[in-house]
Amino acid sequence: MAMPIAHASVSTAARRRGSLRPHGRARAILASYLFMLPSLLVIGVFMFWPILQIVWFSLHQWSFIATDHPYVGADNYRQLANDSRFWGDLHNTLLFTVGVVPASVLLPLPVAVALNRPLRGRAFFRAAYFLPAVSSYAVMAIVWSLLLQPDIGLLSRYLQLLHFPVADWLHDPSWALPAIMLVGIWKTIGFNMVILLTGIQGIPETYYEAAQVDGASTVARFFRITLPLLRPTLLFVTVTSMIASFQIFDPVFVMTGGGPLFSTETLVTYIYHEGFQLFDTGYASTIACILFLIMLVLTAVQLQVFRFQEED
Amino acid sequence: MLHRCFSSRMARLVCALAVSAAVLIPPQASGAASMTSLTFWNGFTGPDAPTIQTLVSRYNTANHSSISVSQNVMPWADLMTKLLASYAVGQGPDVAAFHLQYLPQYVQAGLIAPIDDAYSHGLSAAAIPPDLLRSLKIGGHYYGAPANYATLMLYWNKDLFRKAGLSQAPTTLAQMQADAVKLSHQGANPQYGIALADHATIPMWPILMWQNGGDVVTADHSKSLLAAPKTIQAVTSWATLIAKDHVSPVGLAGAEADSYFQGQKAAMEINGPWATSGYTQAHINYDVAPVPVGPAGPVTLSDAVILVIDKHSPNLAAAESFVKWWNQKPQQAYISLRSGFPPARTDMTSDTSLQKNPFVIKFARQAPYARFYLAGLKNFDKIDTDVITPAIQSIEYNRASPAAALRKAATQMNALLP
Repeated sequence: MAMPIAHASVSTAARRRGSLRPHGRARAILASYLFMLPSLLVIGVFMFWPILQIVWFSLHQWSFIATDHPYVGADNYRQLANDSRFWGDLHNTLLFTVGVVPASVLLPLPVAVALNRPLRGRAFFRAAYFLPAVSSYAVMAIVWSLLLQPDIGLLSRYLQLLHFPVADWLHDPSWALPAIMLVGIWKTIGFNMVILLTGIQGIPETYYEAAQVDGASTVARFFRITLPLLRPTLLFVTVTSMIASFQIFDPVFVMTGGGPLFSTETLVTYIYHEGFQLFDTGYASTIACILFLIMLVLTAVQLQVFRFQEED
Repeated sequence: MLHRCFSSRMARLVCALAVSAAVLIPPQASGAASMTSLTFWNGFTGPDAPTIQTLVSRYNTANHSSISVSQNVMPWADLMTKLLASYAVGQGPDVAAFHLQYLPQYVQAGLIAPIDDAYSHGLSAAAIPPDLLRSLKIGGHYYGAPANYATLMLYWNKDLFRKAGLSQAPTTLAQMQADAVKLSHQGANPQYGIALADHATIPMWPILMWQNGGDVVTADHSKSLLAAPKTIQAVTSWATLIAKDHVSPVGLAGAEADSYFQGQKAAMEINGPWATSGYTQAHINYDVAPVPVGPAGPVTLSDAVILVIDKHSPNLAAAESFVKWWNQKPQQAYISLRSGFPPARTDMTSDTSLQKNPFVIKFARQAPYARFYLAGLKNFDKIDTDVITPAIQSIEYNRASPAAALRKAATQMNALLP
């Protein structure tokens, strides 16, 4: 008796869905892991292993100079808790992040919207905004150090011509960190602008056309269409900007060295000082572990705030 | 047929393996003596780089049949980061050059070789400046030899002095402070009497303390003298001049202080011989004078880069030969004439060949009064960057009185002393 067609189709479909025998399924899974193996090896060697190592170092009195490295348990963490310099550097890092991230996410947004329009010279402006992103941070920090010089710097000179007060930006504990924040914003605006521009270009035109037909204004289209659909891109630039801000090193090291009076020292420059200048690898690793945990928590919070979904 | 094909492929495979082996397996050493290769790491990246390169080339030419030295030159900060890690894993250079202050760390870590043998056969201990020689000896053994030696002097801008009605450099501490006030003015185009750097610099503030009879630490390194009355008095007098008369900018790094003098924004600077070529090329009308004498008598600061040998170097004898050659009179004369540094030998001050560079003899004559800063202290880096510099800066920025800041620094420093 011929099998009913529907039943035959279901059976074929079931086979096509890969209801493999257990042996075939195992081979498919094994093949998947083998394909992932090179990437896992690279990530394991260059990411997970160093993380495990710094946790190990943080539990020891570890130094390149010393021949033995005794286990000290949580002593490094107890020392850190009582280290006023660490708390000061954490404060500077948070201040830097709070000052730079919103500005470097929000300022490029209208620029990206504008550069998405068919403007004359659009390519030139896109390149001009992106230039800081491709410039060496350390080299640009040297240039900014000269620009901010109170006696011979260009920025100071123009401020004087406009009768604005001029401070010794990089030698004044009140102004040094804002000066470095300015450099940080300048450096990241271009990169974030390009990312946001790409996100805007990925929004289908049909939405805007439909909204125009319905009589929505430019502002309404921006807040009702552009911003919501840009959520994954905004999440990306916010998370990456935050991570970059917490890891800020180059401009601090080049422009102020962490001074004056530790007013610009950040967690990463403190890690560098302890680990590579004083060779106290154990203590530097302890600070690094705490920094890692802070960034992990903040990233999780951001993902929650932006209602991160798998398809994002 | 299959057998013939197999044989042919087998033959080709064997030939390929034989050729590979011939290329990849190095030939066995013959009975003739082979060249000894020495690696030499240093941080001579500045104007003295060509001088050092020529010196190494000369050594290679003189020893072309037996020893060849290859240099790896990098900024000092990179060198100190890389060197310790390299020695720790047995990948360090045979010979390295670094600043004297780092010697105790490397000796304590057991990374560098004692070179008493070199001092017994070739290196003249009597010719090395006494303070330097003392610093090279740890635990009864010599661990390094000089690569270069420097003293600090007072650079003064003759044009700025003349405009202020001054005809010569100050000779006493009181004159120095009075001249600094006279040479300073604020306004649209400020000028400073002196550019005093407080971080990332050859130390200047210790000289101001020594001038007045103060000090940083006792001779046996057992106690900090930052809170000593004469130290506090010295720092207070200069802090008052900076706050009231703006005789110096505050918070300067060494390179910034150099820029102020080179840009003729500061009339005086305490600096070493390395600055002479830059200032001469900038056509500054300047000269150098001994650091003005205070109540404690003539004093200045000395600095040295030393040569050390890897404890696990397989070429110890060749490395010692290179170090001894470096310290011979012709090589020291060459370094001095090209760099302006005084020779690291006290028996060359009347050498007429050194007259070709007038600065050499001037800096050499300061050697009897020159002292090293924090030499012999393992924690010198932490003491300088984490204790003394913040103390000086807190005084400069009026965050603390000199007495309070220096007493706090003395307590912190005592905790770091052996």
